[in-house]
Amino acid sequence: MTLTSHDPIPASNLDGAVEDYSRDKVYVLTALFLAAVTVLEVLTYAYPDFPVWADNLLIPVLMIMMAVKFFTVLYIFMHLKFDKPILTWVFYAGLVLAVLVYLAMLSTFRIWWPESHS
Amino acid sequence: MALTESRPLALTSGDVDTVYKPAGVFTRPKSGATGWKSWLTTVDHKKIGIMYGAAAIFFFVIGGIEALLIRVQLWAPRGTLLSANLYNQVFTMHGTTMIFLVVMPIGAAFANYLMPLQIGARDVAYPRINAFSFWAFLFGGVFLNSSWLLGGGADGGWFNYAPNNGVIFSPTNGIDFWNLGLIITGVASLAGAVNLIVTVLNMRAPGMTLMKMPIFTWMTLVTQFLLLFAIPVLTAAQILLMMDRLFDANFFNVAKGANPLLWQHLFWIFGHPEVYLMILPAFGIVSEILPTFARKPIFGYPFIVFSGIAIGFMGWGVWAHHMFVSGIGPITVTTFALTTMFIAVPTGVKILNWVATMWGGKLQFTSPMLFSIGLVTMFTIGGLSGVTHSVAPADTQQTDTYYIVAHFHYVLFGGAFFGFMAGFYFYWPKVFGYLLNEKLGKANFWLMLLGFNLTFAPMHILGLQGMSRRIYTYDAGYGFEVWNKVATIGAFILASSIALFIFNMFYSKSKAKNLPAPGADPWDARTIEWMIPSPTPEYNFDPIPTVSRVDDFWYRKYGETKDGKLVRIAATDDVVQKLSDGKHIHLPSPSYWPIVLAFGMPIAAYGLIFNMWLCLVGGIIIVGGLYGWVLEPPDDPEASHDDDGTDTHASDGGDAAVTEISGSVDQPNELDPAKEAETVG
Amino acid sequence: MAEALTARESIKAADAHAPSAHIEHDTNTGISNTKLGMWLFLASECLLFGGLITTYLLYKRPLEGPTPEEIFDIPFTSTSSFVLLMSSLTMVLAVSAIERGDHERLRIWIGATALLGATFIAGQIYEFTVFVREGLGFTTSRFSSAFYTLTGFHGVHVTIGIIMLMSLVLLSLRGKLPEHRSETVEIVGLYWHFVDVVWIFIFAVVYLVP
Repeated sequence: MTLTSHDPIPASNLDGAVEDYSRDKVYVLTALFLAAVTVLEVLTYAYPDFPVWADNLLIPVLMIMMAVKFFTVLYIFMHLKFDKPILTWVFYAGLVLAVLVYLAMLSTFRIWWPESHS
Repeated sequence: MALTESRPLALTSGDVDTVYKPAGVFTRPKSGATGWKSWLTTVDHKKIGIMYGAAAIFFFVIGGIEALLIRVQLWAPRGTLLSANLYNQVFTMHGTTMIFLVVMPIGAAFANYLMPLQIGARDVAYPRINAFSFWAFLFGGVFLNSSWLLGGGADGGWFNYAPNNGVIFSPTNGIDFWNLGLIITGVASLAGAVNLIVTVLNMRAPGMTLMKMPIFTWMTLVTQFLLLFAIPVLTAAQILLMMDRLFDANFFNVAKGANPLLWQHLFWIFGHPEVYLMILPAFGIVSEILPTFARKPIFGYPFIVFSGIAIGFMGWGVWAHHMFVSGIGPITVTTFALTTMFIAVPTGVKILNWVATMWGGKLQFTSPMLFSIGLVTMFTIGGLSGVTHSVAPADTQQTDTYYIVAHFHYVLFGGAFFGFMAGFYFYWPKVFGYLLNEKLGKANFWLMLLGFNLTFAPMHILGLQGMSRRIYTYDAGYGFEVWNKVATIGAFILASSIALFIFNMFYSKSKAKNLPAPGADPWDARTIEWMIPSPTPEYNFDPIPTVSRVDDFWYRKYGETKDGKLVRIAATDDVVQKLSDGKHIHLPSPSYWPIVLAFGMPIAAYGLIFNMWLCLVGGIIIVGGLYGWVLEPPDDPEASHDDDGTDTHASDGGDAAVTEISGSVDQPNELDPAKEAETVG
Repeated sequence: MAEALTARESIKAADAHAPSAHIEHDTNTGISNTKLGMWLFLASECLLFGGLITTYLLYKRPLEGPTPEEIFDIPFTSTSSFVLLMSSLTMVLAVSAIERGDHERLRIWIGATALLGATFIAGQIYEFTVFVREGLGFTTSRFSSAFYTLTGFHGVHVTIGIIMLMSLVLLSLRGKLPEHRSETVEIVGLYWHFVDVVWIFIFAVVYLVP
């Protein structure tokens, strides 16, 4: 018996996912969304003078778009959103630790103030 | 077998045989094998634990000989035993060996052997990866030490600071061996960390919630999380160093604008969690021993647990206290001085808990208890000298003197190693089925305590007098002579105490035949690993017990009256498990592939140093090993374990395949450092 | 004494009902060992890549040789980044195919994922070749060493992922990948997506931030 992509997946096949999630359609839409954000990212390069990211705002805007993509893949494609919370905790332990420790380390090099760093 | 997942096998109909097809290209070794061959292919966590311990003691002897060479060289001014160059290699290899090949693996030995027993599991989550971890560690260690025969050892100190670790300042291959050897042992530690964390989180006996786990298991969990996150930082730094040394990159090349502090930061971001992950297993061991011999529950179980977790967290925020004199600036120094002072708090909480556990107890001064008390006292001294380092102005005076050497030997030898000795004496009957001789054990303790303090206490004074660490000789007239002589005498007393311990192993074994067997529970202990026969049967528990509280085994033996008096409610013989034939219990089959896979790594590493063709050979062994691993059937086809029909071979094996095959699929990632090297090279 | 005895009886009763040795019981977390293990491994990888990215950020201004602005070809890298991003889509489609028991689609989507991954790697090799021709060797500057190490290291991860995907296709063709083992595909997928999110980070931080 082969199910079509429109049928709900039997719960037993869901690999520990907590709830059923509507599948391929969500994935395609997610991918389209990711593609759109990527296009926006590239636009910051193509049109550097666009008011939203002109001057000092470029880096924050890029970082926000990067984070949006990052967490979209994490939550939808890697289905953290649907899985047991312990997986989120485990991964965040590593991610947050990495971010904090390495930001602290970069701060000791004072790289946020380029003029003092040759 | 508990190697399972919640998902049903999807075998509702009678199609058991058709759905499960083992990939079965290679057969597995026979389960029932004995003799030395069985050790090569074993996936039994107990055998692997014993091998970790044996290998660590072997490396301990090597590292100890290096220590004695150092002490003989420093016996008198202008020592001539070692040249300056050789001295550099000896102290570097001494530190590296003791940290990476002795203290960490002994922690791994206890974790491997005890943790599954303490949580009532049959084995660890991935038995084959466990075997791989051990072999990778062993081969990494042998690779590291093979540098003595191939042009000399590393000579930059155990932390090999940049730019001293560059080819210009260290032209021999010693640091390459150090670098690649520790990448290999790092892969082993990382695989082990994933394995043991999953085991603790997933495979506890029914009823054992996290807050009912024995303290040693808790400390193992914290330790393995520290490893999981600390090892990759070191690996990253070592990849940079490898690129610099072997492929002329510019990570630590000051001429191209590199910043040598990068190495210091990365090394100590790894290095400080590292010191906690070396001490926490010992903390766990004494937290089992003190309540047993005080005959009281541990004082403040949640405080011990949470202070361990707190140490694990805070250990990440203190690394730059190793770098106070490197010019990192006043704000950084102040920040890290404060965090370092704070981390003394959870450690102090633990000390308080141990003292309060003993307070008012009916103490029995057996050898494990003596060593545990040794840890509590000696570690306190080391901890206090550590707090003096957090005071940055004082630390500026202490940095790179013997005061530092005194401090970390008090925490690592007086702390970790005393704890391990306590663990050896305590768990010896459980592991080998005979008790170590108590008289020799006590003599061993007092000799070790004396030798230890004679060796390392004078180093505080030497350091404050201004004697630099890592200096291969000194002139007369600075007042260094007396204390160096005392330290050297102490070192030999310490060595004799280790010799006494090794003698005790064999002596006690030879006498054991005439003595009654120790039985399951020789110490009247508290946790469930003492419920099973000694030595531990291959299947661990039969049946798996249900746990209802901390120290579950104790409360099967003892109850309390209304006014809080301890009453025995059952004879020990009635509550311990009897040896069964274990035929109905399915255990993972042994495998050839972990050792094959691990063997490829040092070959590839030799290739990186000497000849890229060897890399190819190593790479082929690694890839071949991986495919062999994936394609071998989940079971030895002749292993029989089903006699009642409910536990069909196919369903059980199929399940193991789900776990293990995909477990091995993530294996290539763990081999990244080696592969990475090949590709870029 | 009486209470103590009852306590003991209840322990005995609990033991009697404990799962016996050969009845499988669920894992404590309800997650399979393999999946939990993979997530732990990925968490650990964050620290590994973090170290290399940090090194790059520290060294991105070279003292000599081409600078990032001079050398990067943003339109080209954007395209290859897009290819890698889309391979994540084909990967999830593969997972959902095998969960439906659709082995044909599984192989198609996994093959597509591997192909997209290979395209990305080919792009990276091309990019490296061009950079070297333009004077950015591995040993040229602190920037070049950091750049090649970071992106090369990521490339090695992608390559390992491709090998795992191809192995899955082979297993599936030989019928060794039934539905109840769909988790194997899912686990490889987790690895693949992680490599993708690392690239999302690298693309923004290394290539786009001026």
